[in-house]
Amino acid sequence: MDFTSFAKPSNVDGNNENNSTDLHFWKHVEYIENHGKDQDDYEYCMTEFLRMSGIYWGVTALDIMNQLDRLDRTSIIDFIRRCQCPVTGGFAPCEGHDPHILYTLSAIQILCIYDALNEIDCEAVVRYVSGLQQFDGSFFGDKWGEVDTRFSFCAVAILTLLGRMEGTINVDRAIKFVMSCCNQTDGGFGSKPGAESHAGLIYCCVGFLSLTQSLHLLDVDKLGWWLCERQLTSGGLNGRPEKLPDVCYSWWVLSSLTIMGRLHWISAEKLKQFILTCQDSETGGFADRTGNMPDIFHTLFGIGALSILGFEGLKAINPTLCMPQYVIDRLGIKPQILSKP
Amino acid sequence: MHGRLKVRTTEEERERKKKEQTLKVKAYRAAMAKIQEKRRLQQLDDEMLVLTSQILLRNPDVSTLWNIRRECVEQKSLNIDDVDQRQAIYDTELNFSEQCLLVNPKSYNGWHHRCWTLEHSPTANWEREVMLCSKYLKMDERNFHTWDYRRYVVEKARTSKQNELDFCTEKIKANFSNYSSWHHRSLLLPQLYPYEGDAQPKRAMNEEKLKEELEMVLTAAFTDPNDSSAWFYQRWLLGYSRQELDVCAFRCDNNRAVLSFTNPIILTEEDVVITDSKGNIKKKITNWKSINGAKSDTTWFCSLNGDKVLEHINDQYLLELHITDINVKQITLKTYKQSVYFFKPPNQSFTFTENVLNELQTQLESCESLLEYEPDSKWTLLTSALLMRAIGSQKYHDKSLKYLGKLEKVDILRENYYRDMASKWILEKYLLDWTSSEDFPGKLDLRNEEHLNAIFYPQYLCIADIVLVSEKLNHYSDKKQLQGFIAFKL
Repeated sequence: MDFTSFAKPSNVDGNNENNSTDLHFWKHVEYIENHGKDQDDYEYCMTEFLRMSGIYWGVTALDIMNQLDRLDRTSIIDFIRRCQCPVTGGFAPCEGHDPHILYTLSAIQILCIYDALNEIDCEAVVRYVSGLQQFDGSFFGDKWGEVDTRFSFCAVAILTLLGRMEGTINVDRAIKFVMSCCNQTDGGFGSKPGAESHAGLIYCCVGFLSLTQSLHLLDVDKLGWWLCERQLTSGGLNGRPEKLPDVCYSWWVLSSLTIMGRLHWISAEKLKQFILTCQDSETGGFADRTGNMPDIFHTLFGIGALSILGFEGLKAINPTLCMPQYVIDRLGIKPQILSKP
Repeated sequence: MHGRLKVRTTEEERERKKKEQTLKVKAYRAAMAKIQEKRRLQQLDDEMLVLTSQILLRNPDVSTLWNIRRECVEQKSLNIDDVDQRQAIYDTELNFSEQCLLVNPKSYNGWHHRCWTLEHSPTANWEREVMLCSKYLKMDERNFHTWDYRRYVVEKARTSKQNELDFCTEKIKANFSNYSSWHHRSLLLPQLYPYEGDAQPKRAMNEEKLKEELEMVLTAAFTDPNDSSAWFYQRWLLGYSRQELDVCAFRCDNNRAVLSFTNPIILTEEDVVITDSKGNIKKKITNWKSINGAKSDTTWFCSLNGDKVLEHINDQYLLELHITDINVKQITLKTYKQSVYFFKPPNQSFTFTENVLNELQTQLESCESLLEYEPDSKWTLLTSALLMRAIGSQKYHDKSLKYLGKLEKVDILRENYYRDMASKWILEKYLLDWTSSEDFPGKLDLRNEEHLNAIFYPQYLCIADIVLVSEKLNHYSDKKQLQGFIAFKL
């Protein structure tokens, strides 16, 4: 990326009177709908290694905006079917790549939104996920042995969505491992035991505890304080102390606070303003920060955060699974959530 | 996609860029097609390593290509007995991943490939890896991948914990604003200087070291009072974890029993028995139900169907507990009307030794002087309030609340956090005072506490027959746990 030309004027603090309260709803719909229409687009091509997640981000955002019918359900389901590995049962991000638990979760999430789990071999998915659990309760991401609390979240999220948590993995050990990644200093979580707390991984671990009905293990007030300290004067949230704000942390921090019943510890109004300044009013889509390039990942998390904040015209989103609430209700799933004191 | 500024370009520039990208797409597709074909034919050779490296150097996130490299390594080392020759195969991977990490030091794949390579190679030079981390931390001292990797290789290299602490101190002295270093430090100190006393809640480290750390962190915090890293560490040192799991309240008559804990627990078939002073079992209470109908809860109740549990109310009764994770096994019960009860008010403050207390007092004075010059300094206000709580929560009750009130205004984003914390402190004091009031434990009147905006300790209220709340807390009357003991009549 070269910075030779002049920068787009950015709406920084105190200078956001222009359109700052409007959501460019139809621009975003168009942005997501057109994403991937040009198969030769450079960005699109270079991100094929995460295609399955890309589709999940787009499908979820459009459903939250009540515009899901703009995408072609049949071709998406066909694509997912082609990505299931006949040997392991896991899903690859796209054809020609290897299966991984990250893309397996994305595939299952899309299928749940389309109410189409019957289109794939769910038993094989259960075998894949339970086969990745280790003796200490942790999960590999794939057969090459990387361990991370993200994968613990993926595992229980997949099994919950499939209704197969009982008797497939050792839940007690899985909980023990996640709790061994909890830091005494701030009540947060990192990717492995001893790793520094990070809002993205806190979301994974809080979400994990929500799905395993174990939120009582959290030191809610300690972690809640650290999370609400993520809000900066711009209204945006960062992921760790002394870092820049980023729209995706609007999701990781906001959903964690919501699950813990502490959403009121930050200023919702200021955050809403920040997220809206990260919209690209020309092309649609959200960027990580005001004035940056938009992408589909930040677009979902911008829209998702606005949904949590009760933005008008958006469907409710489930904070634990980052999927439309009506889908979670249809599946009869009830992730644990703590009430406000 | 993070941190990529959107730039306006000329038409010409756009065209040129588009052409360039079209070529890149073509090259990428051709390479991927070739790689996949070779993989199908199991040609896991040097050419494969070259092809994958061309893409990975630009885009290390393509996990599958790393997998293919590992397949190559496994294949190549299969028929080689000579250790040096085998090691050379692994060294290629170490060099390659280092190259990738220089371009993209935040690549999960790059770091994992390094771990995998070292774990599988015939000989691994862990000391070299520790040095590599030091080098990478010089480039970016907040890169959590490097810190994670450092903890992993330090363990393997058997570097002493004291050396690590020294490294950490050096890093912090070079730059106080480094949450990652403070975090690393917080892991080492409890191991190097374990606390061996029996005060509750438990300290993270022994008091001598604690005093030293308090001194060091305050110097750091005062260097730049707007930087949060040191203040977070300071708060951890002062101790603000939730209370340890314990029984906090119990009440029982012939009809019902209620038992509550400091933190939510899952109470299943645990043993809870009421005995007389001679140890004769009067009643074994099973079938506990969560007050909220939840799996885990702080408050549990049980209907006793009018059994004659308490025959002679003036006798001495005991509560025997056999609950996992709860240390207390026997509790002496007090009598109130036709019931027996137990109550232990919440206490979140430490009791420090004289030595530490003196240091805290000095720190409070320093903070107060700083506040004279910068009365709106958020972190100084908060730390002062926390220091006051640590020195004497009763003594400084009003003043610490005044500081929270000020914080609500200077740190408006988090006004509700401070409001909730104030509610917590108010209720803590109120519950303590309640134990010596004549209404205890029958009636709890919270109507006069105008700054009580939320009830953080509902489990403590369950032993009262009646809880009176002000208009603004009225919504709590819908919540079962605040309806008082009398509401448990089933």
